[in-house]
Amino acid sequence: MASNAAVPFWRAAGMTYITYSNICANLVRNCLKEPHKSEALVREKVHFSVAKWVDGKPQKPIIRSDTPED
Amino acid sequence: MAMAALRREGRRFATPLIRPNPTNALRSSLSPSEEQATLGVRYISTQIVRNRMKSVKNIQKITKAMKMVAASKLRAIQTKAENSRGLWQPFTALLGDTPSVDIKKNVVVTISSDKGLCGGINSTSVKISRGLHKLNSGPEKLSKYVVLGEKAKAQLVRDSKKDIEISITELQKNPLNYTQVSVLADDILKNVEYDALRVVFNKFQSVVSFVPTVATLLSPEVVEREAESGGKLGELDSYEIEGGETKSEVLQNLTEFQFSCVMFNAVMENACSEQGARMSAMDSSSRNAGDMLDRLTLTYNRTRQASITTELIEIISGASALTG
Repeated sequence: MASNAAVPFWRAAGMTYITYSNICANLVRNCLKEPHKSEALVREKVHFSVAKWVDGKPQKPIIRSDTPED
Repeated sequence: MAMAALRREGRRFATPLIRPNPTNALRSSLSPSEEQATLGVRYISTQIVRNRMKSVKNIQKITKAMKMVAASKLRAIQTKAENSRGLWQPFTALLGDTPSVDIKKNVVVTISSDKGLCGGINSTSVKISRGLHKLNSGPEKLSKYVVLGEKAKAQLVRDSKKDIEISITELQKNPLNYTQVSVLADDILKNVEYDALRVVFNKFQSVVSFVPTVATLLSPEVVEREAESGGKLGELDSYEIEGGETKSEVLQNLTEFQFSCVMFNAVMENACSEQGARMSAMDSSSRNAGDMLDRLTLTYNRTRQASITTELIEIISGASALTG
């Protein structure tokens, strides 16, 4: 769980608990020893595209990805 | 030399007599291009049937391969989906699942696949979402869609594109993982105002059965309100909160985390159902292709046999005419 002192700060920065826990999880993953570390980092790849809709029309989709575009 | 000329002669005479009936009977069931057959061609062409057989055989090969791929993908994802069930269960025990809660802002999160050829799972989840949408829309209520996957988007655009808030696609480019789904859940939370999120997905039961499921998630304010008014969430007050945080802070963290966990499970279950449905769909389509191939082979062989028989009759009757 989040430590008591930190909560107001990341909330004020506009983060949700999900973002906060992801950052923490990534930190832990980076603490692994080598063969496991790269494995764990490769496993957690993010890629999807989000499109907002305004008045029944899709806006341009934004690609959320941590891998460079090919 | 004279014999050959005679035989050719005989054939020419025999043609109009024999040809009309067997040709029509056999060809009409095969193709409409009967008129295109070149005049004076002696035999019924089996070319069309042969081509058709070849294409059916190829289609069968493809569907079989797709089935294999789906089966191997299913095996990999099934264990992951089943393990991910442990994520939402404690939350449901703590915060409950209250589909009948009465609130103003509803958001229906429809989960579907990006790819087709997987039976009816996308239609069922769209159907359920439409039902929920209808159930929760009223004069003072607001009901919106968040759509995951290409297929549900295509179906919902037709009649309720005004109500779509966000659509998310290309989810399965990398193997599904928690980080990805949690970033996605984060995006939904930040961009949508809600009192309750209703996540619609196909829960995987076995390779042949998928249960359309709704998970209802309340916003922290609603959870607090419900807990105070007693009811299903009344037990929440009996929990002690450690540390200096207030209850609303804890609840907000909890509901956010709950959403990402439920989303993760829902996406996994749906992906698993997709592969299962694709497997059975491909299985039945390769079986159908096999049936069709059998029928075509039968027609083909029968036609061939008929032309051989005709030819024999001609030769024999020609020979007997000469001798007799």
